[in-house]
Amino acid sequence: MRRPVVVTGMGAVTPLGETLPQSWKALIAGQDAETSLELFDTSGCRCHRAAVASLPPLPHVKPKALSRISRASRLAIPAAREALASAQLLDSEGQSLLPVLPLSVSTTAGGMAFGEDFFRNILAHKRSRLLGPVARYLPEQQVLDLQKALGFEGPSIIIANACASGANSIGHAAAMISSGMADCVLTGGFEALTELVFVGFDCLHATTTDRCRPFDLKRSGLLLGEGAAFLVLESPEHAGKRGVQPLCRLSGYGHGTDYFHLTQPQSQGEALVKVMRSATDAANIAPQEIGYINAHGTATPVNDGPETLAYRTFYNDDLSHVRISSTKAAIGHTLGAAGSIEALFALMALTTGKLPPQLNLQEPIPEIASALVTEKNASASLSHAMSVNLGFGGSNAALVFSRYEN
Amino acid sequence: MKTDLAVIGQGVVCPAGIGMAALLHAQPSETISPFVSRPDRHWPTFRVNLNDPSLQRWQKQPRLRRASPIGYFLVEAAEQALMGSSAAHRAQTGLIVAFSTGCLGYSRRFFESIVAEGQKSASPMLFPETVFNSPVSHVASVLNLEGSAYALVGDEAAWIGALKTAWLWLEQEQVEQVLVLGAEEFESASLDAYYNAGWLKHHDDKSVFIPSEGAAGVLVRRTQPGDANIISQMEDGFIYRSKTEARSAAQRCFQQFDSSMPCAENSQRHWLGDVERKLLQARYRKLDKHAYLGEATTASAAWNTLRALALLDQSETRLLIPISGKTHQIAALQVEKIY
Repeated sequence: MRRPVVVTGMGAVTPLGETLPQSWKALIAGQDAETSLELFDTSGCRCHRAAVASLPPLPHVKPKALSRISRASRLAIPAAREALASAQLLDSEGQSLLPVLPLSVSTTAGGMAFGEDFFRNILAHKRSRLLGPVARYLPEQQVLDLQKALGFEGPSIIIANACASGANSIGHAAAMISSGMADCVLTGGFEALTELVFVGFDCLHATTTDRCRPFDLKRSGLLLGEGAAFLVLESPEHAGKRGVQPLCRLSGYGHGTDYFHLTQPQSQGEALVKVMRSATDAANIAPQEIGYINAHGTATPVNDGPETLAYRTFYNDDLSHVRISSTKAAIGHTLGAAGSIEALFALMALTTGKLPPQLNLQEPIPEIASALVTEKNASASLSHAMSVNLGFGGSNAALVFSRYEN
Repeated sequence: MKTDLAVIGQGVVCPAGIGMAALLHAQPSETISPFVSRPDRHWPTFRVNLNDPSLQRWQKQPRLRRASPIGYFLVEAAEQALMGSSAAHRAQTGLIVAFSTGCLGYSRRFFESIVAEGQKSASPMLFPETVFNSPVSHVASVLNLEGSAYALVGDEAAWIGALKTAWLWLEQEQVEQVLVLGAEEFESASLDAYYNAGWLKHHDDKSVFIPSEGAAGVLVRRTQPGDANIISQMEDGFIYRSKTEARSAAQRCFQQFDSSMPCAENSQRHWLGDVERKLLQARYRKLDKHAYLGEATTASAAWNTLRALALLDQSETRLLIPISGKTHQIAALQVEKIY
């Protein structure tokens, strides 16, 4: 990257907590958020469980207006507000100190629950008074909700690259800064559980009726989740002028596409290897310098095998320098938010030296077993950490975070 | 934002036909489509002829067997824009597609089956094709594009976001060239959506808002000697939440450009078109030879851009192209002839 990029703020709403510190504390303690899914009827599905987030209060929104805000926005707004607050970019009334703030966000379904409501109504031959549901399901409405709630405007981009989107949005924001297109960008991803998506994964038999067991020979599928995470990225000069100490650097971003199959990675994970190399090349480091990887690790039969082989190739079969875990066993697969939430977990591992344990292991995949984070090796002094995501359509992305040294 | 994106290829699928000649010279035929909520009621629409041999040839591709119409629109427009690109160039080509609603047809079919027949009947064949980036993946796979690929979502202004992203990838030397496309497919549920938004009404006593579909795109690279037409400035992010705010946003957006610059007439029949006309009419260079192709969000933005580029080839040296998003933001770009 040409101009350095630093992280100065972060915030998250996950099934483990309404703030990033809450989520991190629970994650490190080995908790998971799997629960019975009551947001919509799942009686016709194989699977009835998910990782459901508790919606934080929105004190700046009038109660009457609250019903008009999508669940996706109710996850996104508090996460973005927390990120801006930690970057010291909020005034006393909770509004952005930067009236123009570029936004790079990701989602796969936007406010789809409103879209479902609209579809149900027109299928039932209801014709009018449906403007609310149809307008609020569009992803740009969540962007408008963010801009309105936090008091800023400016260019925005919504990336919908399936489950890698959250990493793409952060990488895109970093590219905006490193190229000089922007000095400061609010970036992240959000996703709310919706019936259409839940049933979609269920009918593909991608969800599990067992525990979610990433990188385990007994894995049988993923646990869906929801949440949002946001980061404030800046140039060091911009942060310096504001007198804000960076939390770390975003030093590398790689992205690419695996065209093998619409819903399955190529068996050796070749595209992922290329993307990880691209990210470490951008960071100007060797793979061995990455101390922790927050893996994609969906726990589906088709994902974790190729992903494991990709790590072995990336590290020339020597995984002794790296610790790996997939936090999807704890918070579920949050789809368009996954890359952003998991990037924050990698960042927290870098800055705290604590590593999220790999939950629900029974019989680890032998090729990766030695690298998986357990209670015994759950701390490390890291210089660099990586977050990796793969998605439908073959989207692959990797982000490298590095310690900030002034 | 000043840029130097050379346009070196272009591709079109529209209701008037396939290719640039259709975009510039042909007339689309109206089709009557029913509302989902009231199948006995209809509204005029413009549809792409899926039986056109240019589109049918893609339906034989194994990867595209289950693809939605938007996938066929995209792959055909992409192939036209890539004409002349060698395999080596294709390996260094990035792909960015802007959508508003994406694979809406499959999304409706998938959800309708859940509502009508229950969750147990949900089709694992349909669901993956409802994902925004599925057609993007298909295009890249079928055309052997090995660079990065993004699916972007938004209103018409997402087309500007896609072009800005292309500039970013080229500036960072991630790829040699980028294929930027806008694409939409018509689905009857859209009629109900537009009806509820109050958009389905006669525009000025003689014309009407006609939902449409199709795709278009440009192949761009950093300007090199010999390149003829470039995208030299792009501005977006002028958001609005009301008609009053939209007028102010449009004013602020257009003020970013040279006020003496001629403007490509917006052919959209929408209240935002009226806002644009009031602000820019004195600077219009009429594209009146061209037929109205209906409202296809990001595809419309791409069609308007290609028509303006064609005008550069005929008479103008530079043009402002307003890209007014119907649901979020006002944007615009400037194209220039540089030789």
